[in-house]
Amino acid sequence: MTTPHRSTVRGRPTPARHMPAIAAVVIGVLFALPLLWVLAGSLRPGSQVLGSLDELSWRSLIPTDATLHNYATLFQGDFGRAVLNSVLVAAVTVALGLLVSASAAFGLSVFEFRGRGLVFAVILLSFMIPFDAIAIPLSSLFRDWNLQNTYAGLILPGIGNGLAIFLLRQFFLAVPRELVEAARIDGLSWWDVFTRIHLPLSRPALIGAGLTLFTFQWQAYMWPLLIGTEPAKQLGPIALGTLQGQMVVDYGQVFAAAVVLTVIPLVVLLRLQRHFTQSIASSGLK
Amino acid sequence: MTSTTRPPDTDGRPTGPAPAVRRRTRSQARTALAFLAPALLALLVLRLLPAGLAVVDSLRHHSLVDGVTRFVGLDNYGDLFGDPQFWQSVRVTLLFSVIVNPLQVLCALGLAVLFNRRFKGARFWRSLVFAPIAVPPAVSAVIFGILYRPEGPLNALLGVFGLPSQPFLTSPTQALYALIVLMSWVGVGYWTTFLIAGLQDIPQETYDAAAMDGANAWQRFVHVTLPLLRRPLAFVLVADTVSNFLVFAPVQLLTGGGPEGSTNLLMYDVFRRAYSVGDIHYAQAEVVLLVALTLAVVAVQYRLMQGKGEE
Repeated sequence: MTTPHRSTVRGRPTPARHMPAIAAVVIGVLFALPLLWVLAGSLRPGSQVLGSLDELSWRSLIPTDATLHNYATLFQGDFGRAVLNSVLVAAVTVALGLLVSASAAFGLSVFEFRGRGLVFAVILLSFMIPFDAIAIPLSSLFRDWNLQNTYAGLILPGIGNGLAIFLLRQFFLAVPRELVEAARIDGLSWWDVFTRIHLPLSRPALIGAGLTLFTFQWQAYMWPLLIGTEPAKQLGPIALGTLQGQMVVDYGQVFAAAVVLTVIPLVVLLRLQRHFTQSIASSGLK
Repeated sequence: MTSTTRPPDTDGRPTGPAPAVRRRTRSQARTALAFLAPALLALLVLRLLPAGLAVVDSLRHHSLVDGVTRFVGLDNYGDLFGDPQFWQSVRVTLLFSVIVNPLQVLCALGLAVLFNRRFKGARFWRSLVFAPIAVPPAVSAVIFGILYRPEGPLNALLGVFGLPSQPFLTSPTQALYALIVLMSWVGVGYWTTFLIAGLQDIPQETYDAAAMDGANAWQRFVHVTLPLLRRPLAFVLVADTVSNFLVFAPVQLLTGGGPEGSTNLLMYDVFRRAYSVGDIHYAQAEVVLLVALTLAVVAVQYRLMQGKGEE
């Protein structure tokens, strides 16, 4: 993120000049506090999570008797399998979704054909209908097709993603036409052009589209609630909902589950963030 | 979305044989469709088919008397419009939207301007604001559910200042606002990222020129930043509005639409009708209205942006 240098106000530093920095610190801390508190709570014995609030002090945020006990108990129960399910569903969605979206983007950006406008309109329309709004009619279809409580049922809705297609298409349009023509003259099939020219040239866009697909699945709540409630097929958020809905809630475990479900996407986002902002900037999708 | 139209196949053959070109286009169409088929199939079956199914189902009614499902025209919509609980849900959703959208967009704008400045550690403090973006909706709901508990940390904090405990989620007057705060904890950071990207696209020279003309910071913000930020702002406002029509996880996990229906947002009302009340045909009619509502918002924004662009 390189902003050209800002013209600095000359003169003696005044308290007013530090106002933005002070505000930034205060706001940053306010946003982070709930997460810090959850992290601290997850390391505390479950009974003490709320008990420690009788007198607020720095100890409310920093556990002095940190233990991984909550995590150990958590993964002995159903939650471990639920997290594995979530990882599996997200990973398969990203792999399949990237293949499907990239090939569609290739079809849209490389070829001239009648009806391209119509295809474009279908993708645009399906992209504008929010998924959650049609989740309930889709779930009755999936029930008719016996897809409830199956991995296929959980994965499929994530595969067709209009945003991923648009992101990739925008990138593919920038691939020089001469390169494609030359490759064709050299006898490469269209599939070879796709896999050997477009895919390798579009890493940033693939990462951006992959993140879109991953986030769709990792953030999903309504769909897994409609289609995957059987314990063996539960995803992380559903298992978390079960934990917090029990008669006697073990807050330590709830916090540990919240930390696990947040840290996984946070790590993915932070690792790939640089590529993603690049791809947004260079795709011209504004 | 910029759809670039390339000139039709210019192969540069001197004796341009029209049939050959046509044959080429046709074979190209076949290849293109082969590449497009999986995605088109997925989008048709998983997005457009259920939307169509909702429309069809919303026009039918399953009679419990003789067990037959028959076409009833717009009766389901009529019944829905006559149902006070539906209107109550619409009212709650509108109240929620009217507060949460301007609040989130204004906060995001303020934070974008603040964090776009250069100062020591700006990136670090900014990343703290962005961190909640990674938190899935179900998780943020559960976290705030505990924060709001009677014996939770928020009430402990109030106690430190000598203020009385608040019921938050269990009060019909406070629950909706409690949800607004919870949604904004994640939402503000998310929308800020788009606005910061927009701010960084504004060339420094425009600010320098305005400063040279003697514009103060506020004037520069109003006359340079805001007009040049119009497109990202419009996008954020619409995308935020649509996403806030679809708030579901916190309602389902924390309030169940209550107390006294005060948090019965439309998306949850659809779910409740489909699964608790068990009348799928009413629910489908409500789905159709919800989709129509979101498409209308997108269409209005599209028109506004088009109109502004012509100025």
